[in-house]
Amino acid sequence: MTHSSPTRRRTGAWILASVLLLIGVLGALIVPIYARSSPAWGAFPFFYWYQLIWVPVVALLSGLAYLLTRPSGRPEPGPGQPPGQPQDPTRAGDAR
Amino acid sequence: MQFNAVSFGILIALFAVVTVVGFAAARWRRAEDILHLHEWGLGGRGFGTFVTWFLLGGDLYTAYTFIAVPALVFGTGAAGFFALSYTVMVFPIVFVFAPRLWSVARVHGYVTPADFVRGRYGSRGLALAVAFTGVLATMPYIALQLVGIQAVLTVLHVGTGSSNAFVKDLPLIIAFLALAAYTFVSGLRAPALIAFVKDTLIYVMIIVAIIYIPIRLGGWGHIFGVANTHLTATNPKTGKPNGSLIVLPAGEWAYATLALGSALALFMYPHAVTAVYAARRRTVIRRNMAILPAYSLVLGLVALLGYMALAAPGLPAVVKANGANPQLSVPLLFQDMFPSWFQGIGFAAIVIGALVPAAIMSIAAANLFTRNVWVEFLRPHASPAEQTRVSQWASLIVKAGALVFVLALSKTFAINLQLLGGIWILQTFPAIVLGLYTRWFHRWALVLGWAVAMVWGTIAAYLVPVPGEPGTHFGGSSDTVPIIGHTVYIAFTAFVLNLVVAAVATLVFRAVRLPAGADETRPEHYEADLGPAAAAPAAATARASAAAKTPDD
Repeated sequence: MTHSSPTRRRTGAWILASVLLLIGVLGALIVPIYARSSPAWGAFPFFYWYQLIWVPVVALLSGLAYLLTRPSGRPEPGPGQPPGQPQDPTRAGDAR
Repeated sequence: MQFNAVSFGILIALFAVVTVVGFAAARWRRAEDILHLHEWGLGGRGFGTFVTWFLLGGDLYTAYTFIAVPALVFGTGAAGFFALSYTVMVFPIVFVFAPRLWSVARVHGYVTPADFVRGRYGSRGLALAVAFTGVLATMPYIALQLVGIQAVLTVLHVGTGSSNAFVKDLPLIIAFLALAAYTFVSGLRAPALIAFVKDTLIYVMIIVAIIYIPIRLGGWGHIFGVANTHLTATNPKTGKPNGSLIVLPAGEWAYATLALGSALALFMYPHAVTAVYAARRRTVIRRNMAILPAYSLVLGLVALLGYMALAAPGLPAVVKANGANPQLSVPLLFQDMFPSWFQGIGFAAIVIGALVPAAIMSIAAANLFTRNVWVEFLRPHASPAEQTRVSQWASLIVKAGALVFVLALSKTFAINLQLLGGIWILQTFPAIVLGLYTRWFHRWALVLGWAVAMVWGTIAAYLVPVPGEPGTHFGGSSDTVPIIGHTVYIAFTAFVLNLVVAAVATLVFRAVRLPAGADETRPEHYEADLGPAAAAPAAATARASAAAKTPDD
């Protein structure tokens, strides 16, 4: 908590992650962007293919935000996992 | 619509498999003592990324997705696609606050969203308001799952041929008894394990449907063309077109606010919070927000089934002949297009897809009752085992209530009450989500904002007539906002009202120095990961005996 430089780096990462997430939300929220039929993609009017394409785009943005904000550099195992967690050995299998 | 032994047999076989899995789930990740709410109600709080993905996917994508959304698209076209926009927005939004909720719940052993509110504001009244809203909004949601199952049974012609009311509803009652029994025994482990079966069936069903049906119907160009003809045709009842293929400028506000309001509301539902609490680690939540959109894609494709149903020759006429119930459109489409054996798989996907969320919803509602009514007001020293027993019985009562709901009321009414559910549940957002970040709002100001918004939202929804039938009630969920002049989702307007009232009242209450209540949480509790987990069950037991003292450390 008190180390200033990692904290600052975390703040920067959080700002960037928030921008990515905001883009994802606004792309769906601002309806006039996609309330139109052209350009069509094959038989699909723009309204439909844009929204369907936006799903994986948002997944990608959220994935980047996750990588930016995850604690330390490594996802698992986390810091300070106390030994002798009762549920641990049998359940480690699906942790990832 | 006639009885088909093959498709019915496959549906029954898959239903039997799921029932066995449901009972066997009690032995999955076996707990030392299942008579504890952390075990029965939250699956031991031990689900990793993979299980959580199936659980949340199975939890959030319900009969509403597979029956009601395509029905809306079938009836009105583009307006029904707000559901896709909503499921796109929801995950980035939840990404931000859900890890904080998970952390504080893990540190203090909270089981319900109202538990957090009680601990944060030291207010039993505010917690009761949140718990009450959760149960209220969940009941019609469970009822809607039954409506979905009923739609499949109607198309399969099971029971519906009989004139005896009991025989007619018997298949639905049997399905629900099985669900109630394994939920009672296995708790959250049952839907978590069944979710694997459900999601596999759903993915298989939609991939086949989205490739096979357009080929049979003459391609996407033809499907969109026929759908457009149907939608632009004038509805004799209203004198206006049925709908449109693209959202019209007049409908853009409703579309956006329906999507945003629903997205903000979704993770206020107790069943969504339950699945979040059940995660093993903080990172599990964020990782899931990046991989859950796979289900949103499914929702988008399922919505397109509504257009395929419009384009299937003769299908719209059959829907009209059956009481103009658009909820039959997807099951009818399957019956028209697929060979018998695959119809069975598609029907099973819908039925099991309704059972999984119904189980989680009843568990979540039962936990609300146990923790925030039973322990809080009636039996403050209830042991963990007693709490679990109470929750088990409460889950049965909740399900029985939902069953009565469906059998006694008309289906259209149930759908409209589901829209009301969204209006209600969103009003708990300020207490829960803003509470994760600030204690600025006064607890009684939050109660006041909630009360005003609940009353206003309910009245506003009551006054919306069914299109073309003036004088009727609960006919929709959007209404014109006086000042800005746009049509907006009522939940959203009520939410803004809620925030304004809460903010103004906070200023007043602070000025007159009304007691703010004790806060048992500390800033670092909102960032905590696995560490304090071992303390959680102990903390929960301590909390039952209650004064607002920090139980950990």
